[in-house]
Amino acid sequence: MLKRLLLTSSLLLLAFPAMAFAEEPAAATLDMGLNTIWIMLSFILVLLMQGGFILLESGSTRMKNAGHVAGKTIFTLGLGTLVYWAFGYGIAYGGDSPLSSLFGWGDFFYNPAIAAGEGDAFPPAVYFLFQLAFVLISLSIAWGGFAERAKLSSYLIFTLFFAVIIYPVIAHWIWGGGWLAEDGAQDYAGSTVVHLTGAIAAFAATVLLKPRIGKFNKDGSANEIPGHNQVYSALSVLLLWVGWFGFNAGSALTIGDGFLGYVAFTTMLGAGAGAVSALLISWAVQGKADITTMLNGTLAGLVAITASCAFVEPWAAVVIGLAAGVLVFYSVKFFEKLKVDDPIYALSVHGMAGIWGTLANGIFATQELAEKVGVGQGGLIDTGSWRQLWVQFESVVVSGAYALVLSFAILYVIKKTVGFRVTEEQEIIGLDMSEHGSYGYPEQMKKSRVFKAGNGIIP
Amino acid sequence: MNDSDWSRLLMRIGSAEDARDLRGMRNEIYALSAACPASGAIDGYYRRLNAAHDAIVRRAVRLAEAETARSGIGSPPVPYAYMLFGSGGRGEQTHASDQDSGLVYEDRPERAEEAETYFAHLSGTVVRMLVEAGYPPCEGNVISRNPAWRRSLGEWKRQLDEWFADPTWEAVRYLLIVADGRCVAGDERLVRELKEYYYGNMPVHPVIVGRMLDNTMRHKVLVGVFGQLLKERYGEDSGSLDVKYGAYIPMVNAVRLLAVQAGLHETSTLRRLERLREAGWLDEDEKSAYEMAFLLFLRLRLMTTERTEDGVRTSNGMVSAAKLTKDTVDELKEALRIGKRLQRVVRKRTLGEPGGPHRGGRT
Repeated sequence: MLKRLLLTSSLLLLAFPAMAFAEEPAAATLDMGLNTIWIMLSFILVLLMQGGFILLESGSTRMKNAGHVAGKTIFTLGLGTLVYWAFGYGIAYGGDSPLSSLFGWGDFFYNPAIAAGEGDAFPPAVYFLFQLAFVLISLSIAWGGFAERAKLSSYLIFTLFFAVIIYPVIAHWIWGGGWLAEDGAQDYAGSTVVHLTGAIAAFAATVLLKPRIGKFNKDGSANEIPGHNQVYSALSVLLLWVGWFGFNAGSALTIGDGFLGYVAFTTMLGAGAGAVSALLISWAVQGKADITTMLNGTLAGLVAITASCAFVEPWAAVVIGLAAGVLVFYSVKFFEKLKVDDPIYALSVHGMAGIWGTLANGIFATQELAEKVGVGQGGLIDTGSWRQLWVQFESVVVSGAYALVLSFAILYVIKKTVGFRVTEEQEIIGLDMSEHGSYGYPEQMKKSRVFKAGNGIIP
Repeated sequence: MNDSDWSRLLMRIGSAEDARDLRGMRNEIYALSAACPASGAIDGYYRRLNAAHDAIVRRAVRLAEAETARSGIGSPPVPYAYMLFGSGGRGEQTHASDQDSGLVYEDRPERAEEAETYFAHLSGTVVRMLVEAGYPPCEGNVISRNPAWRRSLGEWKRQLDEWFADPTWEAVRYLLIVADGRCVAGDERLVRELKEYYYGNMPVHPVIVGRMLDNTMRHKVLVGVFGQLLKERYGEDSGSLDVKYGAYIPMVNAVRLLAVQAGLHETSTLRRLERLREAGWLDEDEKSAYEMAFLLFLRLRLMTTERTEDGVRTSNGMVSAAKLTKDTVDELKEALRIGKRLQRVVRKRTLGEPGGPHRGGRT
């Protein structure tokens, strides 16, 4: 017995170098497997951010619309998935087209290989899922401009266009090897592609819809329409914050040398700085530390650091977040002054902060990190060159203009044909009742009270 | 507006026949005030205005006595005093003012029941007449027809004891209200005795001053860390400054707190400042800085948005910043900073050295 044990173990010892040799190809497989798990995990995190949007949008709006706001998010996830699978992905990342610098063409009704091919870093299906989660985020941002007064049908129609010809084209320009990518536009995880695009659609929607009943007085002064649950809003920010690690760090795609950890690190700094500066600025300027502003500042910090998380040093991440928090505070005031009703602050949080974050690359990106990521070059401070800032500026303006023109045109046609806004009566009753026939909070929302409110008896 | 118009009006108020007459007099007060003075004479303006308001209350009390007699209840069984609280007590009523009032009467155990019946009827009649004359009742129910604010002197003292002994938030609020109480009609001696009892209680309950501080300092002066005005952000008053609660009331509260500690019987904020200086609680520079700030707030209070509801003037205490000239805004910012400084000073002195006058110059 003992003899046999000794024999086998010595044989094994002899064989060990050979065994290690034989495992060499398996290392790549292991890498691929780890990447797959990481991308899959990131996809799940980003998908879960929709829970954040449900809480954010319903918490920031009134009780009578809560069921609708929450429900339509899930519905448009479903519809967006189908549309992006059928057409959107092919435009963003499909094969070559005669106009490859403008959009992709191919892979419609996407049917990925069931496993990673030889030498692939990850299987194509998981990449599709990750990209899908991004377009769905952008879509949910756009809904911010629709809130509390758009017809359900307009959500349906707009999803068809947004997930096929608006978002995928911009994604192709910057991430899919399009012309902005060739110029070296830096947008690591989508300050422009995801956040600005969604916010611009929200802007077009809110302008075309006009403000909610009661938001502005005849003399132009604004009224506050407080959301029905600030705890929801705070929870939503936590959910989004956590999910954002899939969003930003997940954009590294591969495990490689562990660079994703650095990306997560700058992301955390940017978010924290946004929370702090927003609370302090509201406190200093208004005399009260405003919770809503602080929550918006946290999100603005995250939005801003999204473009730059892989390109900047820690101190710059803090500066970017601090500036985003202050920016969002003044931006909210600015839109209110323009009499643009932005119920969940999408224009300020995702739009303004998205622009700032993208431009910030042109200022703070370092040459070393730009080379590591392999996109563009260092920014103004590190290199002294204005080149990257110009490229960033160009990508913001062009992407923003494209999203604005198309969103405006599509929504304008919706407005003129099937109608965009619910009737005054429906808006007063609430979309839960008018669009779905039941309340999100049935016990709290007695029909009679709401009808009386319509008559102006109970404000 | 000139003084002879006012004295004529006061005389006519003194001979008004009924509530409708009083209402007419009140409208004449509005008319006379329409020519609002510029800056210098603001305290004199308030003095005249409040003398007229006082005269109306005094006349209402007299008419109510007569009506009570006519209805067979008789004449006052014991001496009494009719008191004003709030801005009326401080002599700082504006055009839009409500009734904060109370009543104190002499103790005579053998006539207690009779007295209660009589004064219940009397105060009910006074309040009704003043409502008809255009003075809405106090929303907090601090009013003479409420038995809680209509007591014999002995009952008042027992009530004060209770409040002092158990300084809950509400009790402290009532004590602060009593501090502004002023006799407007009847036997002033009763109010003086009530006040003396009140101030006699202060040193026995040193904890009360701290509680008063907590209660009164919650209204913040509406100036930000950059010296900017903190205006209303939403609603029909957006862009307006809440002069009442963001400037006037914080200063009233701070000065009252010093006055209570100094045991001053004065109720007007300006008189309190003067007496605080005399008693060595404030030096001349401090006093005149606070006085200047307060005079500005008094002037701005006259500019607050007023509206007439059911023939009754009300004001929300807001002044639209757009209506102010650049110079006034600058003046206001400076005054608010002074108000904020006063709050700090009062906090420090109240917590630091209870009970003693401060002679060390500025803190």
